[in-house]
Amino acid sequence: MSYKVKLYHLYPDAMNLYGDMGNVIALAKRCQWRDIEFEVVDVKIGDSVDFSDADIIYMGGGQDRGQKIIQNDLAKRKTEIQGWIESGVVSLTICGGFQLFGKYFKTAEGEEIRGIEVFDTVTTAGDKRLIGNVVVDVSAATAKWAQKFRFKNLENPTATLVGFENHSGLTKLGPNTEPLGTVVSGYGNLGDGGYEGGWYKNAIGTYLHGSLLPKNPWLADHMIAVALMNRYGSPIPLDNLDDKLEEAAHKAAIERAKTAKTLSI
Amino acid sequence: MKFLAILVGKLAALATRLTKTGSGTTLPGLMAEKIEPQIIRKIAERLKYGVIVVTGTNGKTTTSKMLVEILSEEGYTVLHNPSGSNLTRGIASALIHSVNIFGTGLEADIAVFEVDEATMPEATTKLRPRAVLLTNLFRDQLDRYGELDKTAAIIGNSLRGFSEMTTILNADDPLVSSLAKYSEGEVVYFGVEDQGITTDSGLAMDSKDCIACGHELVYEERYLGHLGKWHCENCKEKRQKPLVSASSIKVSPFVSKFELALPKENLKVEMPIPGLYNVYNALAAATAATVTGVGAPAISHTLRNCEAAFGRMELIEVEGKKIMVLLIKNPTGANQALSAIYSDGKPKKVGLFLNDNFADGTDVSWIWDIDFEYFKIAGSEFVASGIRGEDMALRLKYAGVDKKNYKLEKDINLATKELAKKLKKDEIGYLLPTYTAMIEIRNNFTVKSDELCNMGKVTKRGL
Ligand SMILES: [Zn+2]
Repeated sequence: MSYKVKLYHLYPDAMNLYGDMGNVIALAKRCQWRDIEFEVVDVKIGDSVDFSDADIIYMGGGQDRGQKIIQNDLAKRKTEIQGWIESGVVSLTICGGFQLFGKYFKTAEGEEIRGIEVFDTVTTAGDKRLIGNVVVDVSAATAKWAQKFRFKNLENPTATLVGFENHSGLTKLGPNTEPLGTVVSGYGNLGDGGYEGGWYKNAIGTYLHGSLLPKNPWLADHMIAVALMNRYGSPIPLDNLDDKLEEAAHKAAIERAKTAKTLSI
Repeated sequence: MKFLAILVGKLAALATRLTKTGSGTTLPGLMAEKIEPQIIRKIAERLKYGVIVVTGTNGKTTTSKMLVEILSEEGYTVLHNPSGSNLTRGIASALIHSVNIFGTGLEADIAVFEVDEATMPEATTKLRPRAVLLTNLFRDQLDRYGELDKTAAIIGNSLRGFSEMTTILNADDPLVSSLAKYSEGEVVYFGVEDQGITTDSGLAMDSKDCIACGHELVYEERYLGHLGKWHCENCKEKRQKPLVSASSIKVSPFVSKFELALPKENLKVEMPIPGLYNVYNALAAATAATVTGVGAPAISHTLRNCEAAFGRMELIEVEGKKIMVLLIKNPTGANQALSAIYSDGKPKKVGLFLNDNFADGTDVSWIWDIDFEYFKIAGSEFVASGIRGEDMALRLKYAGVDKKNYKLEKDINLATKELAKKLKKDEIGYLLPTYTAMIEIRNNFTVKSDELCNMGKVTKRGL
């Protein structure tokens, strides 16, 4: 039997800052290397799109302008996307995408950009830009995912994510969204080195660019595994890939987070 | 007071050179400026033909260099900040070097200063330039400046309040073009008029939506990233007609040919440097020269003999093999370098050296916007290196490069030798380093860039 994963890429033009396209490339390659068909549907402003065949919904980061441009179009899709996330569809949103999957983002000018309330989060512009390499300990989240999905790639007890943050928005989590992890080095959601990102059901939001998934292949595989389980109704074992280079890049990023300076301007 | 400031500046320059603590380009300015904050303005005011400021993301160093050479050819004595020290203090140092300790006897009569985007407000206030040239705005060093729109606003605001100043804008860049509204003086444009060089590479489009209304822009031609012939169907914003334009562009790995349309004259130009981005640099420099009143002969003569600026393009010799070094610092620049390298459609041996020091940009995410998937790289061999060499190797792996065709060697010197070893006799290698990796290569291998022009000529004959 041949398997398939279908990703819906929200606003690939307006929301692709800082190389976030790398996440889609990583998912595509890690499916193709396992002979899993991977299909991408680009969702642009005004497109009439039915998400009922979506396994993964993805949105990258964007500038404030990009976020303003898409907010009305995204608002029209709010009920539909919320419904699919509620039913367990996998989702990854980065930076500006993460902010817009929350309740609202209040810009430095006091303008409120509406989000679609997948996450119980509110974001307000801070007075500094938080910039630098980030390492996040996500073992609390993966422990919970491991109880629900018995995937091999979740068995690592010291699960970390590495990436690069560059944001001025500060994102506060409400009771219905859990933090993705705690910051080992970097600023995190509130700029205080506390927690980073958020998750709800199978939706994950984070500030990490990098791109995120190529250097954190276990997360890419987790997303693919859940997507396959949703589509085919039972766990589909994923072939092991040679991830030596991915692991080396992960380690190098952790090393760099220790030595390179971070900036807040 | 001024005497003291200039003296201190001169002594500091001497001290930095003697103690080898630096190249002597910023410290003197820093010290002199501390003593008299007005010093830049006062010295700049004495330049008979004023100051031209060059800014933008890509190409400002090469464009400045071309403009300096054109103006010199025309007979001006040109002052500039050549050491890549492009902050206001570097400018102060350049100005101080050019005067004697009494602050008199300034030899230069015109200045060309390359200024970082973020330094523009300080630069226009202090230098009161006769012209500001804006090459383009691409995403670059975002970790330093925040977001592109904010950079544009900073530059825009720096143009306000100078009714005597000419603003020279890239017509093909919608974001740059939108800055005309800030200018209170004359605005002129340069741009490409060509149907044969359209790209369909989808990555690294930094500015796809209308600045005025947010509607997606329509491109009749797209040349490079978001540069092209654009218009908005919603609000009728459109590309402005250029005063100086380039057409019939042909690029190869070593030369660029094009027709340059000046207001009164058309020139056929053949430059010994490759890539559409260098055509844009030449176009920008020719426009600034035209605005200054320089005639066609000086422009034509200079462009035929021009070289890329320091480190932007070099030829090094490694164990008897020749390697062309092209600096990369953002996805658009890297895509342009690759498009020049692959313009003959043949497989190549390429080094990709990625550092993430402050001068390189500490965020390496941008390599995922290099459009490896677009270029015909099948059969090419790659060496990835640098502090973030793993990230670069990973990018190649995910671009579908066969495992046997890429290699990770973290050490820059060993990686350079590794690349040389792969080359057959007389085969040219290509090396794309970020800034601090380029400096390391320059420090360790023999630079033979004077041979680049000859290679261009040899290739021309071969074509
Ligand atoms: Zn418009």
